[in-house]
Amino acid sequence: MNVFIEVTLDLLQGFGTTVYIFAVTLALSLPLGLIIAFGAMSSFKPLRAVIKAIVWVVRGTPLMLQIIAIFYGPYLLFGISGFDRVPSVIVAFVVNYACYFSEIFRGGIEGVPAGQREAAQALGMTRTQAFTHVILLQVVKRVVPPMSNEIITLVKDTSLARIISVAEIIMSAQEYARAGLIWPIFYTGVFYLVFVGALTLLFNFIEKKLEYIKI
Amino acid sequence: MEFLRVEGLRKKFSQTEVLKGIDFNLQKGKILVIIGASGSGKTTLLRCLNFINLPDCGKIFLGGELLFDGSKKYTERELREKRLKFGLVFQSFNLFPQYTSLDNVRLAADLLIKERTMKNKTLRAELLAENRRRAEELLVAVGLGEKLSAYPSELSGGQQQRVAIARALAAEPDVLCFDEPTSALDPWLSDEVLKLIRSLVGRTMIVVTHEMEFARKVGDYVLFMENGEIVEEGLPDEIFSNPKNERTKAFLMRGGNVE
Ligand SMILES: Nc1ncnc2c1ncn2[C@@H]1O[C@H](COP(=O)(O)OP(=O)(O)O)[C@@H](O)[C@H]1O
Ligand SMILES: [Mg+2]
Repeated sequence: MNVFIEVTLDLLQGFGTTVYIFAVTLALSLPLGLIIAFGAMSSFKPLRAVIKAIVWVVRGTPLMLQIIAIFYGPYLLFGISGFDRVPSVIVAFVVNYACYFSEIFRGGIEGVPAGQREAAQALGMTRTQAFTHVILLQVVKRVVPPMSNEIITLVKDTSLARIISVAEIIMSAQEYARAGLIWPIFYTGVFYLVFVGALTLLFNFIEKKLEYIKI
Repeated sequence: MEFLRVEGLRKKFSQTEVLKGIDFNLQKGKILVIIGASGSGKTTLLRCLNFINLPDCGKIFLGGELLFDGSKKYTERELREKRLKFGLVFQSFNLFPQYTSLDNVRLAADLLIKERTMKNKTLRAELLAENRRRAEELLVAVGLGEKLSAYPSELSGGQQQRVAIARALAAEPDVLCFDEPTSALDPWLSDEVLKLIRSLVGRTMIVVTHEMEFARKVGDYVLFMENGEIVEEGLPDEIFSNPKNERTKAFLMRGGNVE
């Protein structure tokens, strides 16, 4: 029993890092994703092209590779030390997830029929009013399901931080495995399940709240 | 006395010229009906009048004053002021799905009131309450007094279009435009909408329609469009009983079918 409590506390500490990476990534990549989405829809062609290229690279290479590149890249290329471990992970995650989110936002915004904006315009609303009072909630309604999938993936992707020795929960459990205690590795699954379960409940709640909007 | 005058209105989309110089007048309180085959530019004309698309050239006069001149550049703000003069009821209703009937009708005016009463909170509350009453009255007038808190998805197509008409009326446009308001509706639902539009006589309206019987009975003046041009125009009885142009004849022979 003592061992169980000790392991639990230890894993909780690792899980704290996991949740930290998750929360910071989410808080930064959502707004960045929205900005990238607007860039991708801009009428300025060069900007669109640049953003398309970035999104292509980020979505076309493994996140693990991106973490390694950001952590070791500056040293290997320029002989300077770049970010620390945790900031490296966060930069990689934020950029990566912002690109995925931007595609979701873009789909959500472009998915709202043009007639909605036109009707708002014909009624004399300004562009801003049309966006905030007519379009926005319809975008939210559209993006919540794909967004929740992506966010749940992010929870599990945080385990990739281990690749540059950030002590998230799985790495904590591996210390035990190295010492001959195997079960903590599997025990980490419980933490993920509880966390993802809570998020799922939250997303279901939001979807329920938006159910009255039929689009 | 002419109220609305449109002169030499042209609109191009990339290479294709969709409106090739449209001219017409409309008197206050009269109903102009526009007929023509699909693709002839009717929707584009209404969208140009509402400045959803901007005409490339031509002039629009309203109440004797120049409202729009295609050779001038206007800011978004100026265009917004101009848009308030015209209302548009769409073929596909375009109600806002997240709002109830009542909120659909009062939203635009609410926003305008909030914009114009930044400082005066008492006046704002008064105006908002009055707007709410007016919106309710409009919905009662279109026969939806029971459906104030219904969402668009809970309404039939005919009811949705009636909400859309109430919503357009709430903005108190000088000219109300209808773009085939019944073509997305089953025949038995069209009647309630057509009846409602007829009950609006006295307002200045432009109605694009493929309901020939309605056009003949309700229209004060009829335009027949083809390929971005007005091919024939006149009083409904002249156009429908005694069309002069061969293409008008052919169109009416087909029963004025859209396709
Ligand atoms: N945004 C647009 N871009 C390019 N072509 C358009 C656009 N809107 C309309 N058109 C073209 O203009 C022509 C007239 O369309 P429209 O005004 O919708 O006619 P109608 O309402 O009489 O059916 C059609 O050939 C249509 O394809
Ligand atoms: Mg049309």
